[in-house]
Amino acid sequence: MIRVFVTGVRLQLLQLMRSGFDISAMLVWPIILASIAFYLLDAKESPRLLFAAALGTAVMMMWAQVIVGAGGSLDNQRIFGTLELLVAAPVPLVATIGPIMIGAGAFGVYGLVVTLLWGRLLFGIPITIDNWAAFAVALPSCVIAIGLLGLIAASTFVLYRSAFALGIAMQYPVWIVCGLLFPLSLLPSWVGPISWVLAPTWGFRAIREAALGGSAWSSIGMCWVVSIAYLAISLVCLTYFERLARARASFRLA
Amino acid sequence: MAVVEVEDLRRVYRSRTSTFKRGLKEVEALRGVSFSIEQGELFGLLGPNGAGKTTTIKILTTLLLPTSGRARVLGLDPATQHRELRSRIGYVFGGDRGLYDRLSGLDNLKFFADVYRVPIREKSHRIEELLDTVGLRGRERERVETYSRGMRQRLHIARGLLHDPELLFFDEPTIGLDPVGARELRQTVAGLREAGKTILLTTHYMFEADELCGRVAVIAGGRIVAQGKPSELKAAVSEGTVVEIETYGVDESRLDRLRALDGVKSVSTETRDQAQVVIVQATAGASLVQPVLAALDGVTIGKVVSREPTLEDAYVELVREA
Repeated sequence: MIRVFVTGVRLQLLQLMRSGFDISAMLVWPIILASIAFYLLDAKESPRLLFAAALGTAVMMMWAQVIVGAGGSLDNQRIFGTLELLVAAPVPLVATIGPIMIGAGAFGVYGLVVTLLWGRLLFGIPITIDNWAAFAVALPSCVIAIGLLGLIAASTFVLYRSAFALGIAMQYPVWIVCGLLFPLSLLPSWVGPISWVLAPTWGFRAIREAALGGSAWSSIGMCWVVSIAYLAISLVCLTYFERLARARASFRLA
Repeated sequence: MAVVEVEDLRRVYRSRTSTFKRGLKEVEALRGVSFSIEQGELFGLLGPNGAGKTTTIKILTTLLLPTSGRARVLGLDPATQHRELRSRIGYVFGGDRGLYDRLSGLDNLKFFADVYRVPIREKSHRIEELLDTVGLRGRERERVETYSRGMRQRLHIARGLLHDPELLFFDEPTIGLDPVGARELRQTVAGLREAGKTILLTTHYMFEADELCGRVAVIAGGRIVAQGKPSELKAAVSEGTVVEIETYGVDESRLDRLRALDGVKSVSTETRDQAQVVIVQATAGASLVQPVLAALDGVTIGKVVSREPTLEDAYVELVREA
């Protein structure tokens, strides 16, 4: 299982890095998102706030890559006939679809680097990491948590051909609800509990607190708590939706 | 010992008639299919497009659930024992699909070797061996998107053989291949049969089934309309002759006139290059060349050939009757 997972993540990254569209999107998007965050926050005088905005932008990229990039990748697998081969494989579906999501999240790390570089070059954002050890743990924890949240969505992509369109629609609400675009304190209080069950909230907090100071380890712990919950939900959903897909014949486009 | 046993297999596809209305459209893809395949046999499933060949294969390879009926593959139920079964069967389909184009052939094989649980100690050796078997040695590090259709198909076969399955399913493997590529692929399939593999092959190329298969079943409209050795199917129509007339523009009324002639069993047409070839099957003893030419009076006629029936004639007749 672990071997399949590692090979799957490697191949997903290889495929993304060989896609002109994904690479160019990764170069252009950080500028757009960092600019939005920069002018939205109007925080030219606060370097720490700017750095936080850049990190938020990077987590936005990760989520976008998972929900749109990996969702699209799964949709392509259906069109190109590889999805049915993954389903027909002896390993559980989570071992073959999981790497697509985690690989997409890991590709988002490339977005983080580009975002921070653009932030430094265009807006003069200072890049200083308060706790390197916590940052080194927070980053993969964030990738895994966001990837596993994507895996729950992916289980529906296996069954419903149109689910990918709904996935794209989930991109912006998650950015807002998780406090990636602006602080959660600006949103109504009922948004709080929703943000607590979403991985990008804890992933962003963990990375931000590791970089700027704060209790990063508790946020990293929450990343793992939600990751375990997502994995359990994904396993149930994938088993159930695989059975339904075999009954409804939805692995392949008609 | 039967490796595959299928009894009264049925599959109904249901789809919505409209996004906004509640109506459901039902298509009965399989209407009670039954057959069995013995150990080491190369069994052909022949039929026109939409006959139910791929649906049958997808049920047997665990990708689809049957609506009713019973299937046993290697003694397991593909509907409920799919996890155990998947590591013992291989599935290869024709066409351009089923590979990661941006990756090299080698990366594709490495990935699928892990997915199909090839032990890590055997992985490299197995991949090397298969690259030699399918003739892709030296091209394995190139991206699949640069491969010709024949190379892709050979890579498909290598992928399907990675875990050394006991039973192989080939779904129209030569579709879209040039004659040389198709011949090489048939040689590979024949080699697998000689190596003792049990194979289920679907095709709509009759000569392919005739050349490769020990037994065939003809499926049409979701039903098996005949099964047996290719020679037995040919024998069913061997009494009589076939007249092929090369024409240039024959209308339906003239074809009806041919069908009405005494001794004519069936009339069909097919396009070959610029010509429309009328194929007339006659009963034994009937001398039809003159009456047929008379019925086609006024039509530009090219070559006229009278010959023995082939498996293709048997197939056309069986499908037409269905």
